Amino acid sequence: MIGVDVGGTFTDVVAIRDGRIAVTKVSSDPKRLQEAVIEGARRLGVAGSDVFNHASTQGLNALLTRRLPKIGFLTTAGHRDMLDAGRCWRPFDGQLDPRWRRPFGDAARPLVPRYLRRGVEERVLASGEVLQPLDLAQARAELELLKRCGVEGLAICLLHSYVNDAHERALAQLAREVLGPVAISVSSEVSPRAKEFSRAATTVVDAVMKLLYATYAAGLDAGLRAEGFTGELNFADCTAALLPWREALRAPYRILFAGPAAGTAACQRLSHALGEPRLICCDVGGTSTDVSLVIDGQSFTNDSFEIEHDFVVSALSTELASVGAGGGSLVAITPAGDIAVGPGSAGAWPGPACYGRGGQQPTVTDACLLMGILDSGGFAGGQLTLDVGAAQRAFASLDTPVPVERRAGQAYRIAVNNIAEEITNLAIRHGADPRDFSLVAYGAAGPMLLPSTLDLLGVRRVIVPPHPGLFSALGLLAGDLTYGESRSRYVLLRPGAEQEIAAVFDAMEQRLRAQIGDAAREATLRRSFDGRLMGQTWETPFVEMPDGPIDAAAVAAMIEVFHVEYARRNGRAFRELPVQAVSYRVQLVVPAPKFEFMPLPDAVGPPVPTGSRRLRQVGDREVEASLYDRAQLAAGQRIDGPAVIHEALCTTFVPPGTRALVGRHGEIAIELAAGGAR
Amino acid sequence: MSATQPALRELDEAAFRERYGCDRFEATLLGNRFEYVLEHVCQRLLACAFSPLLRDFYDFAATITGPPELDYPTPAVSKTFMAFTGTMTESVRNTVEEYGPGRLGAGDVIIGNDPYRIGTHVNDLLFCRPLFHDGRLVAFITLKAHQLDIGGAVPGGFSATKTSVYENGLVLSPRALVRGGEPVRETWTLLVDNARFAPVLVRDMQTICDCLDLGERLLKASLDRYGTAALHGAMRYACDADAERMTRALARLPDGTWRGEALVDCDGLDDSEEYPVRCTLVKRGARIEIDLSGTARQARTSINGTFLDVKATVGVALKFLFDPNGRFTSGMYRPVDIVIPPGAICSALPPQGVVFAYGESTNALLLAMLQAMADAVGEGAVAGDTGSPNLHTARGVNPDGMPWIAVGVAGGEAGPWGATSAGDADSYSKFYQANSIDTAVEVSEADSPVVVLRREYVADSAGPGFNRGGAAVLKDSTFLAPAAHNLIVLRFKQPTGKGVRGGGDGATGGVWLWHPAAGERVARPPKGTDGYRTAIRVAGRLDEATGLPSVGGTYHWFGRDPEWATAPGAVWRYVTNGGGGWGDARTREPSRVLRDVRDGYATIEGARRDYGVVIVGDPEHDPEGLTIDEAGTRALRISAEVRENRVHPTG
Repeated sequence: MIGVDVGGTFTDVVAIRDGRIAVTKVSSDPKRLQEAVIEGARRLGVAGSDVFNHASTQGLNALLTRRLPKIGFLTTAGHRDMLDAGRCWRPFDGQLDPRWRRPFGDAARPLVPRYLRRGVEERVLASGEVLQPLDLAQARAELELLKRCGVEGLAICLLHSYVNDAHERALAQLAREVLGPVAISVSSEVSPRAKEFSRAATTVVDAVMKLLYATYAAGLDAGLRAEGFTGELNFADCTAALLPWREALRAPYRILFAGPAAGTAACQRLSHALGEPRLICCDVGGTSTDVSLVIDGQSFTNDSFEIEHDFVVSALSTELASVGAGGGSLVAITPAGDIAVGPGSAGAWPGPACYGRGGQQPTVTDACLLMGILDSGGFAGGQLTLDVGAAQRAFASLDTPVPVERRAGQAYRIAVNNIAEEITNLAIRHGADPRDFSLVAYGAAGPMLLPSTLDLLGVRRVIVPPHPGLFSALGLLAGDLTYGESRSRYVLLRPGAEQEIAAVFDAMEQRLRAQIGDAAREATLRRSFDGRLMGQTWETPFVEMPDGPIDAAAVAAMIEVFHVEYARRNGRAFRELPVQAVSYRVQLVVPAPKFEFMPLPDAVGPPVPTGSRRLRQVGDREVEASLYDRAQLAAGQRIDGPAVIHEALCTTFVPPGTRALVGRHGEIAIELAAGGAR
Repeated sequence: MSATQPALRELDEAAFRERYGCDRFEATLLGNRFEYVLEHVCQRLLACAFSPLLRDFYDFAATITGPPELDYPTPAVSKTFMAFTGTMTESVRNTVEEYGPGRLGAGDVIIGNDPYRIGTHVNDLLFCRPLFHDGRLVAFITLKAHQLDIGGAVPGGFSATKTSVYENGLVLSPRALVRGGEPVRETWTLLVDNARFAPVLVRDMQTICDCLDLGERLLKASLDRYGTAALHGAMRYACDADAERMTRALARLPDGTWRGEALVDCDGLDDSEEYPVRCTLVKRGARIEIDLSGTARQARTSINGTFLDVKATVGVALKFLFDPNGRFTSGMYRPVDIVIPPGAICSALPPQGVVFAYGESTNALLLAMLQAMADAVGEGAVAGDTGSPNLHTARGVNPDGMPWIAVGVAGGEAGPWGATSAGDADSYSKFYQANSIDTAVEVSEADSPVVVLRREYVADSAGPGFNRGGAAVLKDSTFLAPAAHNLIVLRFKQPTGKGVRGGGDGATGGVWLWHPAAGERVARPPKGTDGYRTAIRVAGRLDEATGLPSVGGTYHWFGRDPEWATAPGAVWRYVTNGGGGWGDARTREPSRVLRDVRDGYATIEGARRDYGVVIVGDPEHDPEGLTIDEAGTRALRISAEVRENRVHPTG
């Protein structure tokens, strides 16, 4: 089996054959992404592989950079500005800044310019009743205008179509007639959920994704088959669950952003392998750090995420917190002269000052180099030599009263603190105490930064998994095939409600079973609902539904489970209040093959250092660190900090006062030595 | 901060430690930590509150405050609801001092809500938790949060017509709500006995106490790690750094004296009296004085604010202009003096100067200050916004006898902001000192008989400029059941979206009503400008003949019917004021004017009149076929003066 994670700069490929993990990294050409994927497949051998699982950031990048196909948007007349207004709110950070503007608004960078957002005369009420019939002649005129403008795709979102989709269906039919074979996404098919802005935004994203992926996916499938691939090409969704590529293209907004979720999925496998039920998963890349939680071996799923402030996509997604701190984060000085790190980043180009490509401002990577954590030779698998002089000049150029010989160490500690706070953020949201968790450090910069959070967070230990630089790609080989549906309907939970709720679930489940055919027999059914206490405006999502027939007892169980779940999440139950169900969700899960961690041989003696290096600014004085080559380590070996462990695409820092233990699955576990808190 | 002290960045480690009792790194970390603790307290409240005013309108704020012996420094205020910011230090100080710091114990929550003591209005209840470390009072963590009801004559309290504090709501002098972790029964029952929607109130108050527990837990973790001395050093440092940012910004500004004025149209009694808010700003060296002398006397009904609301507004205005990304702390006021005449509309006194819709006069003050400073701050000038929440409240009774209420659904609650150097402004935000997450139209319609028929931007309503203001928002709504309506619309007489640096003013708005004709389920306002002729003119300065807003038109007072009653199918139209422009409209690139015409923010006529740009084509049917008549534009821009009259909203 093969997993491929396509990024903007590199395509990471992981193959597993006879239990052995092989990895490769191919440069991505943004104009010819599928060639890098096929090149990677060719290098590792694709013939005989039963699955080829794929994740890519191309859709997200296109949305963030607004390099978008031309899309039209049709909605109920009078409401086209919903795509400018969003949900109205401004971020806390923008409250005192009159220059802040909504990133996707007409005054900044709209996804669909206002003249391509058109209203059609029609109106459906919240009950589903038609207040005003659809005016087909007027709608045709609007579609003809969009045709003249040459739109490549169309998103349709009418008010209350989640209750009554008749007008949307008629409009879609008319659109196909007028516009011909363009990509059309209809909100009642894409995401039939209440709240028009999030449904509309999701539908626009879906139309964009259809245009970006239709040719790409078919070309990739054909290209792989030409290489001898006979298995199934799957796309990962935002929870790293897998969808056969044709099914994925039915509503491709679901596959917008799979890479980080795949990292969490890999951590779930690690959780099972190590018998560690509670993990904090921390992926430190060049510009940002993604943090997620695994509790009882499971990750957390959200019903939506934002690609930028308030731009909501209603896709099931692994809950991730992101902080602008990574290896490339810029070190800057505040007006009061204090050192600050991030959120700005040196990016892939020019990158940190020590890359010697013209970067002038110091970064966290420069700090690690000056501290001696990083080696100036042999960075990124020997592809790059680091320039110590450039890093020194960058730090010397900072205008701050902090003495020059202490700046790198402070910048390093502030970066580590920023990450630690984001980790605590996520833990608090889930009522989790970091002291009950181990922290998994991956991503290229994770193993050099995260071991230093040990005494800040109080986590049990920091675990550096095998292949930390490509761990997310490995997670693409950790998911099941998952088919899902969701619907909204406001129903007060009381005796008699069972009929309406059962009808919603029956319709969804029948559609899913028909869609996947025979595979339904081995599938597991998962149901959940989103509910609210009467009087609340926001829902508590993912409340478990009872299995089996939905009858009066099931409704009573829904109420009970809601109250228990509400109290668990928020600390207090309000049992006297009625519960209203809002949205319903079904998933059919078909098991898929997954990777296993390869066992390491047992050690026959202590680890042998390959040398030693002087570390600066780590504590009060310089210290001598032993150097190790990860490929030579064996299970059961112990390394006392300070030490630095090198491998092809990563460097692991074992700080003073900690010790590292090499585990049976190839993991390195770092914990505070007795009395090692600094 | 005295002028002889070295700048903070000049302090070496030894000097820093001597002044703050901790090193610079610890102070930086703890400063971040304060913000982070508040963010968590606020997020928890947003996620768990019951009242929509908390969950959706962010009508609350959280702070961390230092102990009495440091004179209550406030190193962090949450950026939830800007109107609260500058009131928070006195909110805590006045409440604690009156209650008696010596009576405080661990696990207590002290409350108070008197606007004349703590600012804003009676529904905003202060919840203050003292923190003890090693037996010593070291800090407070505080939430001030709008309660759904606090008693008084009007359910929910939102009204422009209350005439004395005795109608306004229950006033609570400082008292314990929780003592040593145990609820003080008589305080809870006092609230339950006096407020409507008591079940919601009790749950929200419980949730708020849970949030304070969370904040205490988070702050205690830092205290345990760094100790009291470092905590207090970091508090003082955060305030000093803010003071220094403000002082330096003021020092860079040329000395001067500037005046500004903005108008509150009337009060809820009648429209015989206008309420101008006036300010004189005197800047000398690194200090500034804001003097409100000449501001109108307090209103006769509940649209007044207090001196603390003035303080908050002055803070917001100065942050807008000088430190938009910095933290809000009590230190920012050090170089600022504020002179407030007693008994004015923004410094009302009990019992007659009843305080509720304080945002109307404070927004006027904010705009007056932004106008006054516009030339002095140059590029940093900020144009005026929509000016008001234009709050509409509708209510009625369902056929099954259950009452329904729709607050802030059918009015002009969201509107445009003013332009800045950053570019054109957004058209859909809450007014400058507020923020909220909109309830989706689909959710509002599921919860009440309202139908929002249109919610669109109005062409040519934005103040023109090199960067234009946001466009006015037009909203048509109907109710499919008999309904009664309360309106608070106090800012239509003059443009609130005042332009800066040569930019034009945004158009003024208004309110209209159409009743359904016989046989119509829902009234159908005629398209275009004709509809305004036939409408009932509810509010605004409107042209006698056309019914459109007009600077010289007749003023229509919303309060002539204290409670507007409508049959099913009547259509309300709100048009907000437009946002102000930034810079000379005649310098705006013709390509951006073309895009505005293409996108319907401007008409071809508007482009010619307001920008001196000649656009050729048919924007309605061939938006991509529009072209710029370059020669015509050149000629027009050279010869013709762009008329200053703003065009009116059109249907």
